[in-house]
Amino acid sequence: MRWSATGTRRSATTPDGVPTTDRGASPVLICRHQGVRLAVLATLDSGSRAAARGWSDLAIRNAFILPTIAFLIVFNIFPLIYSLGFSFTEYRVSLQKPAEFIGLQNYADLLSDPAIWRSFTTTAQYVIVSVGGQMIVGFGLALLLNRPFKFKGLVTTLLMLPMMLSPAVVGLFWKLLYDPSWGPINYALGIGKFEWLSNRVNALFAVAITDIWMWSPFVMLLSLAGLSAIPKSLYEAAAIDRASWWYTFRRITLPLVSPLLLIALIFRTMEAFKAFDLPFIMSTASVETIAIKLYQMAFQGWDTGRASALAYIVLIVVLCITNIYVKYLNRAKER
Amino acid sequence: MRTVHKGILAGIGLMLASSTSVLAQELTIFWAEWDPANYLQELVNDYTAETGVTVTVQTTPWSDFQTKTFAELNAQGDAYDMVVGDSQWLGAASEGGHYVDLTKFITDNGVDKSFVPATLQYYSLYGDKYWSVPLEGDANGWAYRKDWFEDPTEMANFKAKYGYDLGVPKNYKELTDIAEFFTRPDENKYGVALYTQTSYDAMAMGVEQTIFTWGGDLGDYANKKVTGILNSPENIEALEAYRKLYTFTPPNWNQAFFVENNQAFTEGLVAMAMNYFAFFPALANEATNPHAKSTGYFANPPGPTGAQHAALGGQGISIISYSKNQEEAYKFLQWFIRDDVQQKWADLGGYTCSAAVLNSEGFLKATPYNQAFADSMKIVKDFWAVPVFADMLFQMNDRLHPYITTGEGTAKDALDALVGDWNKTLGNDS
Amino acid sequence: MAAVTSRGQRFGRPVAILAILAVTLIFLSPILWIGATAFKPRAVATSVPPTVFFDPEVTPFVKLLTKRVQLKQPVAPEVYEAAPWWEKLVYDGGERVLKVGDEPQLSQYPNRFLNSLIVSIVSTVLAVSMGTITAYGFSRFKIKGEQDLLFFILSTRMLPPVVVAIPMFLMYRQFDLTDSHIGLIILYTAFNLSFSVWLMKGFIDEIPKEYEEAALVDGYTRMQAFFKIVLPEAATGIAATAVFCFITAWNEYAFALIMTNRRAQTAPPFIPSQIGSGLPEWTVIAAGTVLFLLPVAIFTFLLRNHLLRGVTFGAIRK
Repeated sequence: MRWSATGTRRSATTPDGVPTTDRGASPVLICRHQGVRLAVLATLDSGSRAAARGWSDLAIRNAFILPTIAFLIVFNIFPLIYSLGFSFTEYRVSLQKPAEFIGLQNYADLLSDPAIWRSFTTTAQYVIVSVGGQMIVGFGLALLLNRPFKFKGLVTTLLMLPMMLSPAVVGLFWKLLYDPSWGPINYALGIGKFEWLSNRVNALFAVAITDIWMWSPFVMLLSLAGLSAIPKSLYEAAAIDRASWWYTFRRITLPLVSPLLLIALIFRTMEAFKAFDLPFIMSTASVETIAIKLYQMAFQGWDTGRASALAYIVLIVVLCITNIYVKYLNRAKER
Repeated sequence: MRTVHKGILAGIGLMLASSTSVLAQELTIFWAEWDPANYLQELVNDYTAETGVTVTVQTTPWSDFQTKTFAELNAQGDAYDMVVGDSQWLGAASEGGHYVDLTKFITDNGVDKSFVPATLQYYSLYGDKYWSVPLEGDANGWAYRKDWFEDPTEMANFKAKYGYDLGVPKNYKELTDIAEFFTRPDENKYGVALYTQTSYDAMAMGVEQTIFTWGGDLGDYANKKVTGILNSPENIEALEAYRKLYTFTPPNWNQAFFVENNQAFTEGLVAMAMNYFAFFPALANEATNPHAKSTGYFANPPGPTGAQHAALGGQGISIISYSKNQEEAYKFLQWFIRDDVQQKWADLGGYTCSAAVLNSEGFLKATPYNQAFADSMKIVKDFWAVPVFADMLFQMNDRLHPYITTGEGTAKDALDALVGDWNKTLGNDS
Repeated sequence: MAAVTSRGQRFGRPVAILAILAVTLIFLSPILWIGATAFKPRAVATSVPPTVFFDPEVTPFVKLLTKRVQLKQPVAPEVYEAAPWWEKLVYDGGERVLKVGDEPQLSQYPNRFLNSLIVSIVSTVLAVSMGTITAYGFSRFKIKGEQDLLFFILSTRMLPPVVVAIPMFLMYRQFDLTDSHIGLIILYTAFNLSFSVWLMKGFIDEIPKEYEEAALVDGYTRMQAFFKIVLPEAATGIAATAVFCFITAWNEYAFALIMTNRRAQTAPPFIPSQIGSGLPEWTVIAAGTVLFLLPVAIFTFLLRNHLLRGVTFGAIRK
């Protein structure tokens, strides 16, 4: 490779961020190999030893990005292809029999199984209730905390504690909290023997409440970030115009916080759809999310073929939903 | 930054090295998390003292035991040398090639003579071969509050209402009456604590016990037939009886297993609690059960036809075919079946299957519940042991749990639906 | 410009502070309750009404760390007297500590705790470093199909762990990776990478390209510019990302439950299993939880300033 100094530069980078050569003002260093221009570094003092040692931009770009992509491909794509294959077979990893091809039979069975549809509905309900709750509580907390006061840092960190607990432990303790016979909640609320976790409806709300408790801090954190970035001048201007609180909220606060709220919404929805830990520990029978159903099929019933098919159905649903969300987010960003 | 990185890596390397097993001989037994596993750990420490081979009993909660075991077996992993597996696993484990065939070991060492034959049949036999050495016998039984039963006011009220004396129930009708009698929500008292958990086989055990007691069956195990047997009129009645009993349980009792049932008892919530005998030590211990002195035990009562059965519990210890220490495992089993070891096992609290120890006076008097246990072992009956038992278990949970805990649907519908499921799983045409 | 406050605002301030205190207290009450339970005597752990005043004891922690059995007969007085203080506590609870020879047998908790430490630290380091350099690549260079690649990276996080676990289980079986530290580290890194890349890209986008250009003019290579200019500027973002990745890995339950067994099991699947072998041991679980919360809480607390600043930047600039 030969380095040569030629030309001059006007600007070091194109809008894309790629350093570019420019027959402009200051000298530019070009690396040539067999006459082909391989990479360009922005201006360097000729004779600088750094220039001789440095990696080309192309090399850096590849070295930085490829490992991650490769890693993710191996550990996400390969397994998915693997299980796509299994989804078309009748295979139980527990028996020594080899997989036998049965085409779309698994999918047909699953899509006509009312238990599966029930799981999907349960999961959808769970997502709506818990994510909705988190957004309201989290945003509410942020509104409350968005003012200067002593120990604000401490309070904010303390409020993050629920997020820092393992969901397994949270589930276990909240199960105790909800117990009608020896749990404090019924006692504190004075509702006697109310059964939180016994029937489908109650259990869904009970687990959702626990989820809300655990993850509102996340929404709160993001909302706080957004709220504190709103320039005070806007509020002052509104105050001068004697705008009502509601008006200020609707016209200034909400629109400026919405990109962040949307991000919180996306992440929390993704996570809620995967809900496994909390419902599993708190009440397997009553709140059977799709993740729990998958787990039972794959690791308790060892029906690998069918579980793979179900996994694919879930994957497609999640991809669709997230696609919609991200498109929405991109549009919101452009606004 | 670089030196910190190196330091971290070195530290991690060191920790990893020290946490992997060293080359000295070691055996690992896998079991569920309960008192017998603790007794076993204590017992095997003697083996360590004798031979220098470290034996560790690794445990995991009952709700995960089946999953974790088969996860390891299906991965053909060698993390465990032996497992104390449930009787229902024999089919799946043997046909999957996971267990070592111990027939020769059993016959060569006379285990078929020294151990109670019934235990071998239930815990070891599958397809004419022996796959384990019976380790822990167990059956489902009942604990009850003697003080409540012997209280004169209660006895008088009971006699007035039901027309016979309050005492240990002689059949299921009495059991149900007593449960109804003691269900007083305003006094925070309830009749019974039942098995209803669906993460493994708890609910199934409770239900099957009732079905057997009504003279019914879960199917023809040998011929894999289910139709007409599982949904027979007796079974329907039995399921309805279990549902009726459920209405006398404390609130929110729809995912209860041994821990909850014991807790209901120690907190004075119920008059009677169903539980496997292996869990009763906690009730006999005064430090953990304030009512220990007034706790009595009885075997599962007979049903309307006079049939009396208890759900089989208990496990046998098997050698895993992927273990790298099979020779040592054999030596361990040789040691385990020694009479003195079996005696010590019983003394520590394990439910030995050795005939000599089980029938001795000393054993029967050792704890308040051993007599009831011995009675129960004579009437035990089991679930399916076929390879697809896990699927059948979950289908049973799916179909019967809603009916039992919420009363939705009818017993007949639930059982009919289950017949359909099981036929499909067993590969039957109808 | 003077702040314009209405009378209403000035009045509202102490009310707001009161509200904040009340809300914080109510919100954190379950955690306080768990913390208290870790020190309660077993008898009052689940009493209703909840016991607020009690004599704290350390027994739950002793029980957490040792293997025990139920006492079948009362312990002999001489044995009791001769026992160390912690063993006496166990005897008082109706149990005794299992011993190999004279050494008390430790429960699996210390080992599981250690596994959690190893797996979480290593996977966080990997996820953050790989994420940072990848984010830099996406931020500074033109990549073909950038939006699609970024969506692909995001999508890896959308899958329920079970979906990935099924084929991973089979794959790991081939390579003997089930129930190993490395296996879990790989999974956690893959899991956290997507979050790490997205978050770090947000931060790095924030850093003006002019800084690097100036450095390049001054004779630095790009790599040097990266290490000497970009990284320090992104330190806040790295801290925030590290905290979130660590929390995620530390508390992860599903993969640990499915993929680990004897050797590499971490604490989250382990702690609920302490529910007990006869009676529920809530105090022991609470003790295990409190100990397990400490590292995360300390780590987060140390980095709290970075965290708050970091979330502000990374989140706004998406």
